[in-house]
Amino acid sequence: MELARNLTIGQYIPRESPIHHLDPRTKIAATAALTVVIFVINDFTGSALFGAFMVALFLVAQIPLGYVGRGLRPVLFLLLLTFLLNLFFSGIRDGTPLIRLGPVVITTEAAARAFFIALRLVLLVVTTSLFTFTTSPMALTDGMERLLRPFRRIGVPGHELAMMMSIALRFIPTLFEETERIMKAQMARGAEFQRGNLLRRAKALLPILVPLFLSAFRRADELALAMEARAYRGGEGRTRMKELHFAPRDAVAAGATVLASIGFLVPRWLGLP
Amino acid sequence: MIETRDLHHVYLEGTPMSAVALRGVSLTIRDGERVGLIGPTGSGKSTLVQTFNALIRPTRGTVFVDGVDIFAPKADRRRIRQQVALLFQYPEQQLFEETVARDVSFGPRNLGLPEEEVASRVDDALHAVGLDPGTFGSRSPFTLSGGEMRRVALAGVLAMAPRVLILDEPTAGLDPQGKAEFLRLIHHLHARGNLTVILITHSMDEVAQVAERVIVLNEGLVAMDGPTREVFARADDLERLHLGIPQTAQVLHRLRARGLPVRTDLLTLEEARDEILRVLGTA
Repeated sequence: MELARNLTIGQYIPRESPIHHLDPRTKIAATAALTVVIFVINDFTGSALFGAFMVALFLVAQIPLGYVGRGLRPVLFLLLLTFLLNLFFSGIRDGTPLIRLGPVVITTEAAARAFFIALRLVLLVVTTSLFTFTTSPMALTDGMERLLRPFRRIGVPGHELAMMMSIALRFIPTLFEETERIMKAQMARGAEFQRGNLLRRAKALLPILVPLFLSAFRRADELALAMEARAYRGGEGRTRMKELHFAPRDAVAAGATVLASIGFLVPRWLGLP
Repeated sequence: MIETRDLHHVYLEGTPMSAVALRGVSLTIRDGERVGLIGPTGSGKSTLVQTFNALIRPTRGTVFVDGVDIFAPKADRRRIRQQVALLFQYPEQQLFEETVARDVSFGPRNLGLPEEEVASRVDDALHAVGLDPGTFGSRSPFTLSGGEMRRVALAGVLAMAPRVLILDEPTAGLDPQGKAEFLRLIHHLHARGNLTVILITHSMDEVAQVAERVIVLNEGLVAMDGPTREVFARADDLERLHLGIPQTAQVLHRLRARGLPVRTDLLTLEEARDEILRVLGTA
């Protein structure tokens, strides 16, 4: 019944590590850079090295690797699907046959390719989860707002987007708690959610969804009122309590990311194995 | 009868957010008792009662309802939830149907009862909470007042025909008159049938009015357990747990401190009045 238990993906883990203390903008940029690197790497050696690099970063961030594993659990299905699709429909016809099932032939090359693509997905999730594990939602939206500021001239409402995002993030745990509470209240009245066919299960959701929506609307109303009572009127001329500042450690982190990226990319550009 | 044995519960065990709620609760609640469950915020009251009808599976220990281990693999959870009903805090937030009658029928329908039986249960339950099925049955629950909505929610659990009724802060957010009415209702329900009532509350006055036995939880353990009078006689111990005693008892304690030799173990307004008059009369 504890819904939150399986939800480590995208969850902040407070620690006092150097990575936690980085400016969120540095972390956003570094995550973006590393994501590009993941897509450029196209062999197992590179992936293994990148994996080792990430493990090192997690150690620096003081995030136990067990959490990383748990964060992968929700995407397990997607991983499997990707793997199977690539295995059967990779289009790689030639090479050494590995398995022969009637007309279907799976070559060693196709298997390697499918495994590699699944691995790439794992690396993506791991890399972005390092970011979310070490960045509080507040820092995340602050960083995003600041990064979007130059685009205000072309009409991108950075502050409003960031505000919406922080409100949404803020209410995710609340909604989970509420869902759990309403589910329990209906279960106390004999409701069952895991029984019957699809239609019955969908119908069983109604007693949860109606109260949940009602309370979400009520909350939205109350929040809007509370914000207006404090004279909130958007980002224009708004100052902030915590200003973002680049510190020397940000330069170090940025430099390290650039160096690592080059390290991963150069062999590929040179056409080395 | 509800019996717990060495109940332990940890929320989100094995994560950085883990929180210990219960650390070994063993108690027995007999049929027909009126129990007040009190304790500071976070003492584990809500967690404890949610193990009574298997909504929370304790990390260690188990619960027996009428001698049946409700966490045994083959236990019939639906039957247990029919027998041990739980009204959550702000229960009006669980209403979802188009009409009051349909909402109240949710429970009995889940039990798979025939339609006539469902209809008569709905009528009975609405009558029991003081709402006329004829006037209220066809209305939308969302057009009712807060107090009325709460009664509809209570009718929704009563329609399960439970033997144990657990109420988690049932009067929170009601106005004084609504509170008094709701408490009278609980009394009435208890008097009507052989119903066991477990009341969680922060109001010592409500405990004094409703409960014959008080269980005090503190940091996941039973700190006190006994007849209401005896527990409230230990005013100092309650004070240490940041709990108080009923207002009538407070008045008597102060009078005694000022030199009036009154008894201090009285709970209701009438008892206190008679005692003060008695002492003044003899003085």
